[in-house]
Amino acid sequence: MQPGRDWRGPDGSPDDAEEKRPPKSYVFICCAPHGRVGVSTTARLWSDYFLASRRGFVGFDADPHEPDYAPRFSGRVQNVDLASTQGQIAMIDRLLVPDGEAKIIDLWSRSYDRFFTLIQDIGFVEEARSKNVEPIILFHADASQASPAAAWSLANALPTVETLLTYNEGAAPLGPDAHERLALYPPHRRLKIGALDALVSRALQPPDLSLSWFLIEPPSDMSLVVRAGLKSWMTPVFSQFRAFEMRRALEEATWLI
Amino acid sequence: MKPAVILVGADKGGVGKTTVSRALLDYLAANNILTRAFDTESPRGTLKRFHGPVTEVVDITETSDQMRILDTLNSAQIKVSVIDTRAGALGATLRALRDVGFLDAVRAGEFSFTLLHVLGPSIASLDEIAETAPFIDDANYFLVKNHINATTFFEWDPVTNRKYFEKVNPSGEIVIPKLDEMAYEQVEIAGTSFSTFVANKTAGGEPANASFVLRGYVRTWQAKIADELNRVRLLDLLAQR
Repeated sequence: MQPGRDWRGPDGSPDDAEEKRPPKSYVFICCAPHGRVGVSTTARLWSDYFLASRRGFVGFDADPHEPDYAPRFSGRVQNVDLASTQGQIAMIDRLLVPDGEAKIIDLWSRSYDRFFTLIQDIGFVEEARSKNVEPIILFHADASQASPAAAWSLANALPTVETLLTYNEGAAPLGPDAHERLALYPPHRRLKIGALDALVSRALQPPDLSLSWFLIEPPSDMSLVVRAGLKSWMTPVFSQFRAFEMRRALEEATWLI
Repeated sequence: MKPAVILVGADKGGVGKTTVSRALLDYLAANNILTRAFDTESPRGTLKRFHGPVTEVVDITETSDQMRILDTLNSAQIKVSVIDTRAGALGATLRALRDVGFLDAVRAGEFSFTLLHVLGPSIASLDEIAETAPFIDDANYFLVKNHINATTFFEWDPVTNRKYFEKVNPSGEIVIPKLDEMAYEQVEIAGTSFSTFVANKTAGGEPANASFVLRGYVRTWQAKIADELNRVRLLDLLAQR
C-alpha cells in the first residue's frame, strides 16, 4: 500500500524476511446486490484518494453496458465483462499481481452473484493471501429488507474477508432503522459517504472532473459554495480511508507484538 | 487389492471418453492409486499426449496387445489399469474381453472390472446401453453423463428416458459437469494433465504461466468429478479383495 515502505524493525535492524516481502496489495471490492446505491462513487473516491496521495492504483469497471467509473480514469480503469471468461481473466489475474498497488473494483450489481460465486469456486481468497494480496469488501447497504440478508450471506460465504459496511446517505439512505442496521457493525467496519446538496452533486457529474485535481487546484470557474461543499464532503471520507489504512498498517506491524 | 480394469468407453464419437479417462487418471493419482493406462486410439493416442508416462497405445483387436494388457494384470506392480477405448470400439473391446476369457475371470473373482459408459446427447448414444447389457453382468457398470454441452439426456421426456435407462441396472450414474470452454482449450494447448495445469506446471515440470481463473475452473471441475467418484465409492470398488 505504501511503496518504498521501510520494513526495518524498531531497533533499525533489517528484518530479512520482512525486507524481502513486497508491500501488501489491497483489492477493494465496491459492491451491492442492488443498483444505484453509490458503488461507483465509492470506487471513484478510493481512486482519487490514492491519486491525491500520489499513489497509483488499478481499477476495474464491471459494468460493460453503461460504465460510469472507467471513463473517469481512462488508462487506469479497465472496463470488463464478467459474463465472459476473457473478462474474468482480464480482471482476476490482474488482481493477483502482488505489485503493492491498490486494485479497485466497481462491481456492477448484475455481476454481483456471478462474481462472488466465481471467486469462491476458484479459490480466489486463498490464492490472494498466498500472494500477499488482501481483498476488502465494501458492501453497500440500502434500505431494502433484502440488503441485510445479502450482507449476512456474503459474510458467511467469505468469513475471512474484511467487510466494510458502506452506506451512502445521498444515494441510498438507510431509513428509520438505520441505527439498528449499523449497530451490527463496529465503527471501524463502517464507511459513511455523506449526502451532497443537489447543486454540489451536479458539479460531480462531468466525467472529466478529477476529485484529486480538485483538491490540488480547484477549477477557477467553479462556484466558491460548490468548492466548499465538495471539500467538506470529501474530507471526512478521505479521513475514513486514511483511518482504515492506518488500522491495517498497525495490524500488520508484526514487530510491534 | 485384486487387479482392476476400468474400461472407459462409448461407441459414439465426441462424447468425451478421453476427457473422462484423463479426469479419472488425475483422480486416481490424487488418491495415491498407481495406475497404468492403455489408449486404444492406435496409432495416434490422444490420452498418451496428456498422460504420456503412464500410457501405452494399443490396438485392442490385436492379440499381442490384448496380451500386453491382460496377461500382465496379475504380474504388474500397478494394480489398476484404465483402458480408454477409441470411438466405435466399445462393443469390439467388450467382445474381445469376453472372447479371451477376461469376463469369465471377473466372474470367478480373479479381477475386478468397472465399465464407465460415457453417454452423449443423442439417441444413438443411448442405443448403446442395450448393446452393452450382455457384457456387464459381473461388472461395476456406471453410466457416465458427460455434460459437454447443455444436454439433459432426454430427462424432459420420461418415455424416451425410461426406454433407454431401464434396459440396464447400472451400479450408478456419474455426472461429469461442463468445463469452461476456454479452460478446456488451454489445457489442450498445454498438452498436460488437468492436475498439472492446475499446479501451473508445464508437461516437463517447469513453472507455467496459466491464468488463475482458468486453473480455478479446472480445479473446481475436478473437485466436482471427485465428489461424483467418491459418491459411487469407486475407490472402495477398486480396493476389493
